[in-house]
Amino acid sequence: MNEQQIAYRIKQCLNRGLELDAGKLVRLKAAREQALARQRVESRIPVLAWAGNIIGKSGGPSALVPRVLLPMAVLILGLIAINHWQDSQLAAEIEEIDAAVLTGDLPLDAYLDKGFDAWLKHSSY
Amino acid sequence: MAKALFVLTLWLCTSLSTLAATPPKKPPMWGELASEQQQILAPLSDDWDNFEPERKRRWIGIAKRYPNMKPDEQTRVQRRMQAWAKLTPKERDAARARYKKMEKLPQKRKEGLKGQWEEYNRLPEQERRQLGSTPRKPSAAAPKVKPPAAASPEQTAPPEVAPALGPGR
Repeated sequence: MNEQQIAYRIKQCLNRGLELDAGKLVRLKAAREQALARQRVESRIPVLAWAGNIIGKSGGPSALVPRVLLPMAVLILGLIAINHWQDSQLAAEIEEIDAAVLTGDLPLDAYLDKGFDAWLKHSSY
Repeated sequence: MAKALFVLTLWLCTSLSTLAATPPKKPPMWGELASEQQQILAPLSDDWDNFEPERKRRWIGIAKRYPNMKPDEQTRVQRRMQAWAKLTPKERDAARARYKKMEKLPQKRKEGLKGQWEEYNRLPEQERRQLGSTPRKPSAAAPKVKPPAAASPEQTAPPEVAPALGPGR
């Protein structure tokens, strides 16, 4: 018997009806209603359901520390360190430029004079 | 194990929040500077206490470099310090931007910049004005503070900035 034939037989059986006795039908109905009631409660509090899901999946509240809080703390610390490093790099660069402008061959006016800038551009700057 | 990790996380959180919340060390007032720093930064003594913390830190950084500078560089710093400090933040930023632009020039052109500056200053004033030149600040040409003893051999050198009017330097 191939797959199509099995499907056909099942379809025929279902068309005929299950012919269950009254006791079984009552138990089935009760089980269905119980399942629906539980589903309604879960969908009414989705946030709690989601949180419970996360905690449940991660192995309970004690697992939150290594799985969530620790990486988060490391990430924040890393971001602060990067920000601090960038600030200090910028400050160091400005100090470097200031030192060069103050000690260089060219006088300050050469860096302040827009005309000189334009004139340099004219002469293939 | 979980307890140890919790303690570690708590410690990390505490330390990083302390790090983020602690303001950087306040830079010193003029009276709190070391006497050597005061000597080097003497041209700034009048304005020092009004400087923003960031500027103070920069000047302290420059004072740190000062002993390693050549004598002629030390003289230039002394001569330019006050004029540089008197510029507006916008003017300083523009000057830094032009310096960065000039730094990118080929070495040969960079070496010729001083000659070009002199040549530019020989142009008639009207021509310079047409190019966008504005009258120069007198403070840049007339420093009033004497350099400290370390720079004494150069201290009588004439002002290096060309006058705003008239040809030549």
